[in-house]
Amino acid sequence: MKLSELEKKSGLKAVNQYTDMEIEGVYISDMVSDIITNAKANVILITLQTHKSLIAAANLVDVAAIVFTKGKKPAEDVVELASKAGIALFSTEVDTWVFASKLIELGIK
Amino acid sequence: MGTCIHKWEMADIRYGYLVVEGCTRCKGRSSFFSTEVVAPIDEYQEGEHFWAYFGSSQAVKFNLKCTECGKTTKLDDMVGLMMSTCDDPQCDVARIAKKEGRGTWVYVALCADSTHSSGKCVSEESIEALNEYFNQNIKVPGKKILIVPCSQCCSVDRCKGIVLADTGLTEIY
Repeated sequence: MKLSELEKKSGLKAVNQYTDMEIEGVYISDMVSDIITNAKANVILITLQTHKSLIAAANLVDVAAIVFTKGKKPAEDVVELASKAGIALFSTEVDTWVFASKLIELGIK
Repeated sequence: MGTCIHKWEMADIRYGYLVVEGCTRCKGRSSFFSTEVVAPIDEYQEGEHFWAYFGSSQAVKFNLKCTECGKTTKLDDMVGLMMSTCDDPQCDVARIAKKEGRGTWVYVALCADSTHSSGKCVSEESIEALNEYFNQNIKVPGKKILIVPCSQCCSVDRCKGIVLADTGLTEIY
């Protein structure tokens, strides 16, 4: 599924402008050390963490997009860094579990 | 073996704490990785240094193993990674980033001794393996990860960057 399709179907709000691309999986984590060791390229990362180090870790392993749950909003400099790195940022008001369930309903695993 | 085009995977993954200490006399910094349940907080003398606890964050250590030839590159000499955002014209890392241009992201492999008084830093072999590992899976065309040793930083206090560690994680909720 493409990012734009996911945005529409799951009710995500785009935080920055992004280049549309096919996503290849999902990873859920709030820990930078975990992201570095387990997240794969082209996945969407679901998290509560809005710190800059998360973007630095996501960029290192080539994450395609990040979804901030529970209405978390990253600071402007974090958005700027993600945009520079070509990482799409989205937010959703629902919690991580509800959003993950929605992804399963959409057939994304 | 020598001609293997390595396909690296992470091995011996250990989660723990990156503990940073500072010398109250020479102002040098030292860091080590601890797998203890709670990050150790100590003050002690070591030769001419008087080390005091500066802080800690959750972090990870790993080695790299080639799935083709079985070679393992131990990354014991690296305590962490930092995405460089340095723009100091006197800094080699900033110069490298500028020369590489858009699409290349420079990350600094941090060794334990910021003063490099022993003359040692993260080894060339480790740097080479890290570069191969982090670039082998990139799917974005034109994107490149460039890992450099921290001996190329202008100064640990001046060189700007984002350390990949879970600092302040408990504050997010």
